[in-house]
Amino acid sequence: MTMETPLLELRGIRAAYDRIEVLFGVDLVVNQGSVVALLGPNGAGKTTLLKVACGLMAPSAGDVLYAGKRVNGVRPEELARRGVAMVPEGRGIFPNLSVRENLKMMTYTGVALSQIEEIAFDRFPRLAERSRQLAGTMSGGEQQMLAMARGLATNPAVLILDELSMGLAPIIVEELYESVAQIALSGVSILVVEQFASSVLGIADRAAIMVHGHIVRDGTPGELENELSSAYLGNQQESSGGNK
Amino acid sequence: MNAEQTDRVEQFKAEMDQLGVRDPSQGRDRLWLRMAVGLMAGGLISAIAAYPLAATGNQLEQGQAIVQGVLGLTAAVVGSALFLRYSFANFLRFWMARLSYEQQAQADRIIGSR
Repeated sequence: MTMETPLLELRGIRAAYDRIEVLFGVDLVVNQGSVVALLGPNGAGKTTLLKVACGLMAPSAGDVLYAGKRVNGVRPEELARRGVAMVPEGRGIFPNLSVRENLKMMTYTGVALSQIEEIAFDRFPRLAERSRQLAGTMSGGEQQMLAMARGLATNPAVLILDELSMGLAPIIVEELYESVAQIALSGVSILVVEQFASSVLGIADRAAIMVHGHIVRDGTPGELENELSSAYLGNQQESSGGNK
Repeated sequence: MNAEQTDRVEQFKAEMDQLGVRDPSQGRDRLWLRMAVGLMAGGLISAIAAYPLAATGNQLEQGQAIVQGVLGLTAAVVGSALFLRYSFANFLRFWMARLSYEQQAQADRIIGSR
């Protein structure tokens, strides 16, 4: 199903918050129609890498490439307009607006509300039932569905998901990842950042483990599963034979 | 991948190709802001310094002092405009983040009070 053409490529990414460097030459590739999971403990630099990937943060060194084109310095709204969607950690929805109003906010991209609702409600029928409800009063899982629906509304080619499972019950997380798998099947390339590996490895084509701003290992989920505990517990050097 | 999906990817590639990419530089905003402050301060100092220099009977010196004063004021005005431009961008970003946070906190309060 996946084609081996990189749609998103990060090469030697270094990034810093003022003088504190958090990424030290990270390489990562997301091929067309594939799901790549970026795993690692809290504070590893995963979210920073996503910010760099979608243009929210400029790298201090290295290149961000979409479909082979170097896009360093391109504003995030430019990338979003062309098909890069990000669902941020904490969902990024408007809690005081209804589901419908939240979707309506996406019409700024030039897509009609009817089309946005069709995409959102087809993918997440529960949102149709809750269309008049205030987004902030929905369950965490439903809020995450809304956030994903907003991301999908622009018909993205690349979808970037940050900590989808945060604060959600395992059964809801499973349901959400089933949706992610379906989205990938529709041809969208997906980069998922997760702290809790078990939920995402079931649907990922490839995965990478990030610790202290380095990718210490990458490979298929099967190859990585056994090495996760050592990476999380701090003796990652033993398993760092892969991608440095 | 079906034809529709391939089309989307091809469209994405074409749009990326058309993208005008500026030369990246992380600290550009900060550099402009520093330059703006420098222009404002330098311009004002230059204009104020020109005032006593103009208090002379020599018309040539007076003319030079007036030119210095005008250039100083111009630099200060340009610096102020740049400062407003770059400090406002930062402020508005912060304001939006703050607004989102307060909305979230308010929603949490409403839910909590039920």
